[in-house]
Amino acid sequence: MNEKKKIRRHMGLRASSAISNSVIHVLLVIISIIWLIPFVCIVLQSFRLELSGPVGYVIPKKWGFDNYVALLGRSDFRQWYINTFIIALVNAALQTVIVLCMSYALSRFRFKMRGALMRLMMVLGLFPGMLTMIILYRVLKDLGLTEANAVPGLILVYVASSGMGYYVSKGFFDTIPKSLDEAARVDGATRMQVLFKIILPLAKPIVIYTILTAFMAPWGDYVFARYISFENPVGMNVAVGMYKWLTLDQISSNYTMFCAGGVIVAIPVTILFLCLQRYYVEGVTGGAVKG
Amino acid sequence: MASVKLTNVKKIYDKNVVAVHDFNLEIHDKEFVVFVGPSGCGKSTTLRMIAGLEEISDGTIEIDGEVVNDLQPKDRNIAMVFQNYALYPHMTVYENIAFSLRLQKVPEDEIYDRVTRAAEILGITDYLMRKPRALSGGQRQRVAIGRAMVRDSKVFLMDEPLSNLDAKLRNQMRAEIILLRQKLDTTFVYVTHDQTEAMTLGDRIVIMKDGYIQQVGTPTEVFEMPKNLFVAGFIGAPQMNFIETELTVENGSYYVKPFGVKLPVDGEKGTALKAKQAKTGRITLGVRPEHITLTQAGANAIPCTLEVNEMMGSELHLHVYTEDGTRLVVRVPTVSLDAETRKGLVAGAKVHITFEGKVMHFFDPESTENLLN
Repeated sequence: MNEKKKIRRHMGLRASSAISNSVIHVLLVIISIIWLIPFVCIVLQSFRLELSGPVGYVIPKKWGFDNYVALLGRSDFRQWYINTFIIALVNAALQTVIVLCMSYALSRFRFKMRGALMRLMMVLGLFPGMLTMIILYRVLKDLGLTEANAVPGLILVYVASSGMGYYVSKGFFDTIPKSLDEAARVDGATRMQVLFKIILPLAKPIVIYTILTAFMAPWGDYVFARYISFENPVGMNVAVGMYKWLTLDQISSNYTMFCAGGVIVAIPVTILFLCLQRYYVEGVTGGAVKG
Repeated sequence: MASVKLTNVKKIYDKNVVAVHDFNLEIHDKEFVVFVGPSGCGKSTTLRMIAGLEEISDGTIEIDGEVVNDLQPKDRNIAMVFQNYALYPHMTVYENIAFSLRLQKVPEDEIYDRVTRAAEILGITDYLMRKPRALSGGQRQRVAIGRAMVRDSKVFLMDEPLSNLDAKLRNQMRAEIILLRQKLDTTFVYVTHDQTEAMTLGDRIVIMKDGYIQQVGTPTEVFEMPKNLFVAGFIGAPQMNFIETELTVENGSYYVKPFGVKLPVDGEKGTALKAKQAKTGRITLGVRPEHITLTQAGANAIPCTLEVNEMMGSELHLHVYTEDGTRLVVRVPTVSLDAETRKGLVAGAKVHITFEGKVMHFFDPESTENLLN
């Protein structure tokens, strides 16, 4: 009798967990659809040919690539796109090197004030970056790195604070046994060789996570980029440049082109994510959970 | 092949925690020295100082006559096997073994020859293209040894290399290390907490406790003439029995009186006590379990009650307690007992034990030092 009860109870549990699973899945699908609607709208609007301003419907009546052709024909857009690409790429390279070296050093070396340094960086990280905007603008202006020279200025701003984002990668490095470093050092490797030949190949997910986040941050930045380029089209990034098309006097003639621009901006990041998604998830969870 | 000399070596960690005190030792060329001791005794720290993985706080370390205090591990010409193998997980076995040679920019043909030769000696040729995760514990340990072997280093350091293996594999690998030692014919420094490993592998054993060397000697020396109570208790399994008793002298002959039974200290030990003119009085008497024998009731017999009888196969470990409640362990070869006696060895049985003077060890209860030092 008892066995039967157990089995019945087990079956009951299974049934209730199946129901709750289904409810969760339906809910997630609905949330995903809601979340995707704006993106789908933008993609559809980018192919609309009949009117260039905002309209009250989603599916275009006339389809074509004219918006894309016009967009890519514009030299200012190309300039903004190249600006954004340079900033993101250089930042990704420099920030990755700085973050990984910083994380490795904090994970492996014991030196005076190490704990204090980490705590200081954590406290500084709690302040919103916006607080520094005015002083940063003054400094960059004095250095001649604003307006037309906003690209190197922005790179400097993004790279300068990159060492503070060491948490996730340090957490990941902490999970790699120190005896591997020691074995490599006994085998004849220098500290640099240990980092590049042993630790980084093992930390591939976190390296990719770092590259992705370092690329993404400036790619979509608006506030700092707007401030530092200060209305100068030569120094604008794509977000600042395109935002101008949404002002009252321009939106009616540039809205569909804005949508096409949005799609083009999203393409590199989407490709990067699709290719590296697996590592990204491993990087986030590896650093956060094990660290 | 080289000698290693440690002179007044100290290791002080932050907050003045002293891990190793004034360590003095000369390891001769081609000698196999084992550091043994309980956790936290400083044995691994000392090995890591020789390797250059820990800075020394004071003193000098010489390898082959050269002071290496400030040299990086890579410049000390040493090889090391780690407790957790420390194999590079992203490399194949071949790449793991070849790693150090590649750093030295050894030509590819020579790397191939040296790696395959090491693999052959260690019996891992079939696994050369596998990643470490596809290997068993024993195979990983062999790869770790191969990685150290291939470098032709002056000194071979091993930090508890067998402690992650199961008992059977540990015995097998221990024998293989002995064979390897014969093949490599180089200087070995080996760290373990297992006294059996220390006894079977070492030419000399360094027994450590709380950062201090307790005794340095051959396995026979440390077993037969432990310098103090700690060494006596640490070396030997099951550990030595200690009995608080009195050392007396009558007509020029020494006696002990464990549990009120007067036993003569005859043989070599008696002679040695006489030669030393050992002071009589309270002592800690040490007797190894294998040196105690079961006997019939009589003048030299100590009556005991059997508490537990552990059947170990070739021998019995009898846990007994005396009339005053002192617990002792007696190790009896099964072959020496007839079936009737064995049947009677059950919990609660009354037995009598005795031991001869030549197997006794005498320690000062205050200083814990051996009276015959």
